[in-house]
Amino acid sequence: MTLFRRKDVVLLLLIVSVLMAASCKKRVAATPPPPPPPVAPAPPAPAPAITLRAQPATIERGQSSTLQWEARNAATVQIDPEVGQVAVTGNRQVNPTSSVTYIARATGPGGTATDNARVTVNVPPPPPPPPPAPPKTPDKTISQLFLENVHEIYFDYDKADIRPDEVAKLQNNATWLKQNASVRFTLEGHCDERGSEEYNLGLGDRRANAVKEFLLSQGLAASRINTVSYGEERPVCHEQNEDCYKRNRRAAFTMNP
Amino acid sequence: MRKLSILVLLFGLATFAYPRLMSPRSFAERQQRPQIEAHTDRGIVGVKIAVPEFQVAAADPKADALTSTFNKVLWDDLDYSGVLTLVSRSFYPLGKFAQPGDIHVEDWTTPAVDAEFIAFGNTRVSGGRISVEARLWDLKNPQNREAIGKRYGSEDTEDGTRLVAHEFADAIVELIGGGIRGIAQTKIAYVSDRNGSKEVYVMDYDGNNSYPLTSYRSTALTPVWAPDGEKIAFTRMRTGAVGLEILSRIDRRSYPFQNPGGTTTTPAWSPDGSLLAFATSRDGSDTEIYVADWNGKNLRRLTVSKSVDISPVWNPKTGREIAFVSDRSGSAQIYIMDAEGTNVRRIIEEGGTAVNPAWSSDGQRIAFAWQKSRTSYFDIYVHDLATGKNDQLTQDSGNNERPTWAPDGRHLAFESTRSGTAQICSMLADGTKVRQITQTGKNTGPAWSQYIEH
Repeated sequence: MTLFRRKDVVLLLLIVSVLMAASCKKRVAATPPPPPPPVAPAPPAPAPAITLRAQPATIERGQSSTLQWEARNAATVQIDPEVGQVAVTGNRQVNPTSSVTYIARATGPGGTATDNARVTVNVPPPPPPPPPAPPKTPDKTISQLFLENVHEIYFDYDKADIRPDEVAKLQNNATWLKQNASVRFTLEGHCDERGSEEYNLGLGDRRANAVKEFLLSQGLAASRINTVSYGEERPVCHEQNEDCYKRNRRAAFTMNP
Repeated sequence: MRKLSILVLLFGLATFAYPRLMSPRSFAERQQRPQIEAHTDRGIVGVKIAVPEFQVAAADPKADALTSTFNKVLWDDLDYSGVLTLVSRSFYPLGKFAQPGDIHVEDWTTPAVDAEFIAFGNTRVSGGRISVEARLWDLKNPQNREAIGKRYGSEDTEDGTRLVAHEFADAIVELIGGGIRGIAQTKIAYVSDRNGSKEVYVMDYDGNNSYPLTSYRSTALTPVWAPDGEKIAFTRMRTGAVGLEILSRIDRRSYPFQNPGGTTTTPAWSPDGSLLAFATSRDGSDTEIYVADWNGKNLRRLTVSKSVDISPVWNPKTGREIAFVSDRSGSAQIYIMDAEGTNVRRIIEEGGTAVNPAWSSDGQRIAFAWQKSRTSYFDIYVHDLATGKNDQLTQDSGNNERPTWAPDGRHLAFESTRSGTAQICSMLADGTKVRQITQTGKNTGPAWSQYIEH
C-alpha cells in the first residue's frame, strides 16, 4: 500500500537536497551589481530650466485656475505662494481670492531657474461694501464705534410709531448693526414726564418694540436684541419744556457687555 | 345731599327727644348714619366728642413729652377720622380730667359744649413703659356710661406712645363712628427720592415713622400691599431689565417671584392674596395684563389688544373683576374686565386721559386721576359704579394723581404737586380735610395698607 518504495524515497531526498544546495549556492554566488554609471566629472552640470503657466490666467472670484510647470535639469521645484514643494513636472489647481503672481523655482546641480505666472482674479462688480466708517484703528473699541454709529430714535408725544424723519437714521443704525453681527444690545424705551408714570412704562415698551420690529424687518436676529422700558424714569433732560420733552421721548441703544 | 340732610335732621330730633332711651346697642344702630355719609357729604356733623388732655399721673422725666405726644396724636386721629366732631377745648370747663371722679356730666352736656361723648384719662411712665388709663364715656347714657375703660401700654418711646394713642383712637372710631374700624394703625407705602434714587418707603398713615424698604440705588416704583399687611410687591428697574419684587415690610425678607420676561410692572394682589395681576411685554410689541400665582407661576394672559394695557387692580370686595388702564381707544382710559379677561367695558365715556384706578374696599367706587384735556392738570375723581357718576375731589391745586383707598373706604391718599414738588397727601373721600403727610424730597405713588394686626 505504500506509495513509494524505500529506494525511491532515498532517491527523492537526494534529488531534493542537491537542488537545495544548488539554489543556495546560486544565491550566495550572485553576480555583483553592475557598477554605477561613471559620474561625468568633467563637463559642468547643465543649468536647470523651468516654465510655469496658469490656465486660465484670468478668473472670477470663486473659480479656480490650473498651474502647469515643467522643469529640466532640476532636482526640486518650489512654487510660491501657498503651493510649496512639488514634483519636477506637474500641475495643480489653485483658488486665489485675489490676483496673485505665482513663482516657480527649480533647483538642480546646475543652479536655479525661476518662472512666474500671474492669475488675475476679477472681484464681482458690487463687492461687499467696505466699511463706510473710517478704517478701524486699533484705538477704537467696538463700544466706541457703537456709540459713534448707533443713534437714538425720537418719537412724537404719546406715540410709538417710527417718525418718517427718523427712518434714515434708524436704517443707518440697522446697517451698522448688521455689519457688526457679534454686537448684542438693549433697546430702551423712554418717555417725557407728561402723562401718568405707569402709562409711560407701557408707552416706553411700545417705543422699544417698534424699533425692534423695524430692525427685525431689516434682517437682524431677535436673539441679539433685548428690550426694556424705563418709562419717564431716565430722562436725559430735566427741564419742563418741549425742547427737553422731545429729547426724552426716545428709544436708546446700549451695547450689552 | 338733600336726602342726607333730612336723615341728619331726623337723627338729631331722635337723639334730642329720646336721649335716655338709648342703650349702647341702640347707639350702635344710630351709627349707621356716618356710614351713609362717608363718601358724599361735606361738612356734615359727626358724633360730638370732647377730648380733654390726658393728665400725667406719675412724675417721670419722659412723662410730660410723651403725654403731650399722646394728646396730640389722639386728637389728630379722632379729628381725621372724618366721622366725629371734636368739640373745641376752648369750650371745656376748667380743671383736669384724669379720673372718673373728675367728670361732671352736666358740665359737658351744656349747650356750650354739647358733647355726646368724652374721652379722658391719665398716663403713667415707669420701668421703660408707658401705660395709659383711657376711658370713653357716653354722656347721654347714665345706665351704661362707660363705653370704653381700658389700660393701654407700650414702650416709653415716641413711637410706642403714638401706637397707644392710635389704638385708643381706633377703638373709639369703631365704637361710635359707624362700626367701621379706625385706620390710625394702618400704613402707607410710597416712593421717595429723598436719598437720591427712587426707593420704596413705608410710613404710618399720618406720615410718621417713615423708613426705607428698599435701597437698590436704581429705581423702585408702584408699591402695593398684600392683604396680609406684611408683603409689598413693587416694580424694580435694573440695567436692561424691569420686573417685580416682593419684600416683607417687617424684616425686608425677599419672596421669590419668577418674572415672565419683558418689562413687567404694576403688580396688584388679589383680595385673597393668592394671585398677582400685572402688566408685561413678554410677548413683545406692547404690554398686556397677566395674572399669575404670587410667586410668578401659572402665568395666564388676560388682555389681547394692540395697545398699552397696564395698572390692573382687583375688585377687593369680590375678586371677580379687574380694572385697568388701556389706550386701545386712542388715549388712556379705565376699563373693567372679568377676572378671566372677558367682558371688557370702559367705565368713563367722556374723553381725556383717565388713569390710576383704585377700587374701594366695598367694591362700589373707583377713584382715579383724570386729565380732561392735554393742557389741564390731573385731578382725583371718584366714579360710582352703580350710578356712573364722577365726583371731583381735587381742583386748582397742581397735578393730583394716583389715589389709593384706606381700608375704611372713607379716606384716600394721593400724590399732589400743590406745594411745588410732588408730595403725598391724604383726605376724606369727599375731598375735605386734605393734609400733606410727606415733606422731604419728591414723594409719589402711595399705596394704603389693609388693616394691620399688631
